[in-house]
Amino acid sequence: MSRSAARPTTRRDTVLFLGCVVLSLFLLAVPEHWTGPLTGTVRETALRPLLWLQRRGEEGRTSRTRLQEVVAERDAAAIRARTADDLERENAELRGLLGLQERLPETFLAADILHQPLPTDGRTLLLSIGRAAGAAPFQPVITPSGLVGVLVRVEAGSSVVHTWAHPEFRASAVTAQGEVLGIVAPTADDGPGLQALEFRGVAYRDTVPEGTLVMTSGLGGVYPRGIAIGRVSGVRREELGWERVYRLTPAVNPGLVGHVLILTRPVVPALQSADSLPPASQDSLP
Amino acid sequence: MTPRRGRGWPLWLVLVLLVLMHFYVRPRLYSGPGAPDFLLIALVIYSLRSRPGPAAVAGFITGIATDLLVPVRLGAGALAHTLVGYGTSWGRSVFFPDNLLVNGGMFALGVLLRNAVLLLLSGSGPAGLLQALAPGSLLQALTTAVAGTLVTLVIRHRVDFRLDE
Repeated sequence: MSRSAARPTTRRDTVLFLGCVVLSLFLLAVPEHWTGPLTGTVRETALRPLLWLQRRGEEGRTSRTRLQEVVAERDAAAIRARTADDLERENAELRGLLGLQERLPETFLAADILHQPLPTDGRTLLLSIGRAAGAAPFQPVITPSGLVGVLVRVEAGSSVVHTWAHPEFRASAVTAQGEVLGIVAPTADDGPGLQALEFRGVAYRDTVPEGTLVMTSGLGGVYPRGIAIGRVSGVRREELGWERVYRLTPAVNPGLVGHVLILTRPVVPALQSADSLPPASQDSLP
Repeated sequence: MTPRRGRGWPLWLVLVLLVLMHFYVRPRLYSGPGAPDFLLIALVIYSLRSRPGPAAVAGFITGIATDLLVPVRLGAGALAHTLVGYGTSWGRSVFFPDNLLVNGGMFALGVLLRNAVLLLLSGSGPAGLLQALAPGSLLQALTTAVAGTLVTLVIRHRVDFRLDE
C-alpha cells in the first residue's frame, strides 16, 4: 500500500468534501420547478450519448429475449381479433339505439424504459422517446397488464414518468363492476421493499371482496376509464367506522417493465383552462 | 494521482470501460432490480486509488448523473455518492484495500450506504433506511460486490496508478 494512503485527510480534501456536501444540500433545497428545465437540458445534451448507448443496449436485449413473448401475445391477439368485428358492429348498433357518441379512437406511442440500478428507479422512469415523437405531459403510461403511471416532464428525446410507486401518485378508481369508487395511492408500510397500493375512500357500508379488480374510473381527465390498477388483497385499515382502506396488489411492477405504451388519446377536457371553456348558462344553475 | 507511463492500462481507460458496461452491456444482459451498478464500481475503484477530496468530487459528479437519469430528487444522489466516494477513500487508510474480500466489502457497503441515503432523501423518510435492507437492495449489493471484485481481479496487476506522495 502506498505511504500516502495512510496519510490523514488534508485540509484541501476536507474543503472539497464539504463543498460537495453543501452543493448537494443546496440542490436538495432548490424547488423542482426551478431545476426541472435545467436537468432536462443537461439530459438532452451532456448525457445524450450515454442515453443513446443505453437505448441501443435495451433494444438489443428486448429484441432477443422478448421475441417469444411478443409472438405469444400476437397469437392471442389474433384469436381475439376474429371476434372483434362482430363486437364492434354490435357496439355501434347499441350506441346508436341509446343515442351515444362513438368511442374516441385510442392512439398510442411505444417506448422503452431506460432503467438505472438505483432503489428509486421504480418511482420515476426515464423513457426513450419525447416531444419529438408526440409525447406530452399528463399522458398516461400503461402496459398490456395495467397502469404504470403518467408523464410529468417531456423533453425532445426523452420523458420522465411518475409511476404508481411515486409518493405523489393518486388516481380515481372504481371496481371492475363499477359499484365502488375510491382513490388509489401508494403505500410502503407493508415492510421494507414492499411497494403496494391502497384503495382509499371506500364507504364503510361497501365491501370489496378479495381478488376484485380495481381500475381507473376516468374521473379527473388524466387516466381514461378501464385501465387495470391492481387487485384487492385485503383490508388494510378502517378509519373510525366510516371508511375502509383496502390493500391492492399492483397489476404492474414498474421496476420489471421494459416496454410501455403512452396513450395519446385526447382525454383532457378537465385540464382545459377556464378561459377556453364556454360560459355557464344561467339555466344550469340550481 | 499521477499515472506511470508505458506500463499497463491507464486508470481512466478502466473507468471509461466501466461506464460503457453500465450504459451498454448491463442493459443488454439484465437491467431489473438487483443488477450490478457499474458506475458505483467505477467510483469505488477510483476512490480507492485517490485522495478523499477528489474522490468526493468524483462521487458528486457521479451522483448528479444518476439524479438526472432517475429524476426523483435532484441532489439526493449527489450527496449519497459524495459520501460513498469520500468514505471509500478515507476507509482505505483503515482497511487493507489490496485484499479482494475487503474490496468486495467496500463495493457492497457502498451500495447499501448509497441506497440508504438516496431513499432517506427521496421521500421515504426514516423508512428508507429499512428499505435499503430490502431483498432487492441486498441482492444489488451482492451482485455489485461480485462484479466489482471480478473487475478488481482483472485490473489489479494491470492498471497503472500512483498516488501523489
